Amino acid sequence: MTTAPAPVREPAWQLPRSAIGLWTVESAISTVFLWLGAGAFLLFVPASAGGPVPVLRWVLPALALLHTIIAVGIRPSVKHRIYRWEITAEAAYTRTGWLTQTWTLVPISRIQTVDVTRGVLQQMFGLATVAVLTASSQGTVRIWHLEHDVAQRVADDLARRAELVRDQAT
Amino acid sequence: MTPPLVTPPLLVPDVRRTSPRIVLVHTVTFKQARQLVPILIPVGAGFGFSGGWTTIVILAVAITVISLAAAALSWWRFSYANGPSAVVLTRGLLSRSVRTVPNDRIRGVEVEAPLLHRLFGLVRVRVDAAAGAAGEDEEVVVDGVPRAEGDRLRIAVLTHRGAPAAADDDEPEPVEEELSRWDNRWLLYAPLVGSYLAIPAAALGALSRVFDDLPGDPLGDVFDVELPAAWALALGVLGGTLLLLVAGSVIGAAIVNWGFRLTQRGTSLVAVRGLFTRRHTELEIDRIRGVSVSEGLGMRLVGAGRATALVTGLADAARRGQLLPLGPRAEAWSLAHRLTEDPGPLVPHPAAARRRRIVRAVVVGSVLTAGGLVLTVTTGFWELLVAGPVITVLGVLLARSLYAALGHAAGPRSFSVRRGWLVREQIVLERRAVIGWQVKQTVFQRRDGLATVTACVGAGSGGYAAVDMDAAEVPAFASAASGGWAGTLTP
Repeated sequence: MTTAPAPVREPAWQLPRSAIGLWTVESAISTVFLWLGAGAFLLFVPASAGGPVPVLRWVLPALALLHTIIAVGIRPSVKHRIYRWEITAEAAYTRTGWLTQTWTLVPISRIQTVDVTRGVLQQMFGLATVAVLTASSQGTVRIWHLEHDVAQRVADDLARRAELVRDQAT
Repeated sequence: MTPPLVTPPLLVPDVRRTSPRIVLVHTVTFKQARQLVPILIPVGAGFGFSGGWTTIVILAVAITVISLAAAALSWWRFSYANGPSAVVLTRGLLSRSVRTVPNDRIRGVEVEAPLLHRLFGLVRVRVDAAAGAAGEDEEVVVDGVPRAEGDRLRIAVLTHRGAPAAADDDEPEPVEEELSRWDNRWLLYAPLVGSYLAIPAAALGALSRVFDDLPGDPLGDVFDVELPAAWALALGVLGGTLLLLVAGSVIGAAIVNWGFRLTQRGTSLVAVRGLFTRRHTELEIDRIRGVSVSEGLGMRLVGAGRATALVTGLADAARRGQLLPLGPRAEAWSLAHRLTEDPGPLVPHPAAARRRRIVRAVVVGSVLTAGGLVLTVTTGFWELLVAGPVITVLGVLLARSLYAALGHAAGPRSFSVRRGWLVREQIVLERRAVIGWQVKQTVFQRRDGLATVTACVGAGSGGYAAVDMDAAEVPAFASAASGGWAGTLTP
């Protein structure tokens, strides 16, 4: 990856470090399924099946290994560097993504609802996601993996301020 | 009964009923009896359909009687009332349902008159309530009132909404101004529009299936002639199909758009159209956030276009928001600029955006060519090897026109983005329409210094993107195209 300047400003705040642990566990779980699939292929598809099978018997485990290294070893810490968020006086702002990065900005005056959700894995790490919804299906800001009490405070604060400055909201 | 706890009872004056003539319309169209079909089929199967003509006649009579009874029952149990604060609909045979729609939740009223309704002098009034994506039966519909009563209802509902109108009566008609009127010459554009061509194409498809089902093989017999005649026949069939497609699309466009007329009445836009079913749609100008002008591939050849208003909270907005269903490009744009300010000429996107598209085309073409080479060597299948370079050349041409479609502009009160090749769509939106920004950058875009910026909007498709614009321009464009809050993006 080159270090061309980002097109827009970086949001100011980082996620808690426990998000790395959560992403690692998520990746590990998906990796287990990947290996189960690869193992099933090696077990049930005979090597003598012909066609591309002999090659695939080498390629599939190699790809699974590559995915494991990237998803478990590298991606969580890269994501932790990229995922950032900020609540300014006027707007909620996030950066998400990994190879493809997405910045989303929603003004507080146009917020319609604020949701806090805690997934099963998130609960193990004491994390929660704040979703800020607007009248547009595409204008949703999701702040992933905040500490639960922070998430609750952010949601309450946003909801209260949205109430105060709400204009037409469409 | 329980006393009203939450709100004082809504002031509802006289309860009205629909015209009894609607019973006949619904009997003929099996409006209510349609729901009984899943029950009737097993019953019919139980008695057996094999009884010959008598059974069929008995069945037909029975179905008609059931339909008549169902229509009469639903007419008898349906009533409506429109008061100064709400529209109330009452219906239901055993479980009564009362729907109350407050007037300030009403976003539009549509009066439509299908052919049968017109024969009986009736109309159907559809009230568009801000209830989110409501299902078909959740819609507020008053089906079957005389035309005058339909107009009264529409005007009453629309004048009671919003500001309390001083004059209650419908007499002080606001000023009317005609914005656009259908010109029958515009029907000639129809064969070049994909959606109109689809109608006769689907009909032809159905027809060919009927031919397949015919006993014997009539087409096979026809084709079983000596060569020159078969060629002539094939040409004839081809010509006939083309003629049918052209005629069908023109007729289809005429049925839908006949007598289209767009007028401004006070603070609303009123669109009337349709040959058999007359439709009368009203849009509040205050809810219009922008306009989309789209030109299909064929329409661009003849300089045709269509204009659609982007309206907040409008169900079925693609149809109801139509400002110009089909017409000259200049007409579409003059309408668009009446409703939203012209943000000025579009800024083309950087050359890197064109390079990206050409690279994509060349990569796809090269992969095909390489695959073709392998196939030629291994199996002697050479067609792909020929197709590869052809596809590359066509792809590069497509890439160039895809790039040419890209553009964006930001004016003092509005902004615009354009994209698309098969259908080139340009959006002009007011600044206040934007309720969020999304900036997206892939690895390749980052290398090329490009970014895709989506303006999130609570109207139309929800978001409109300036694809592959110069990454350095993003903050300035976002700030220029929306409120001061977008300054958050500036580094």
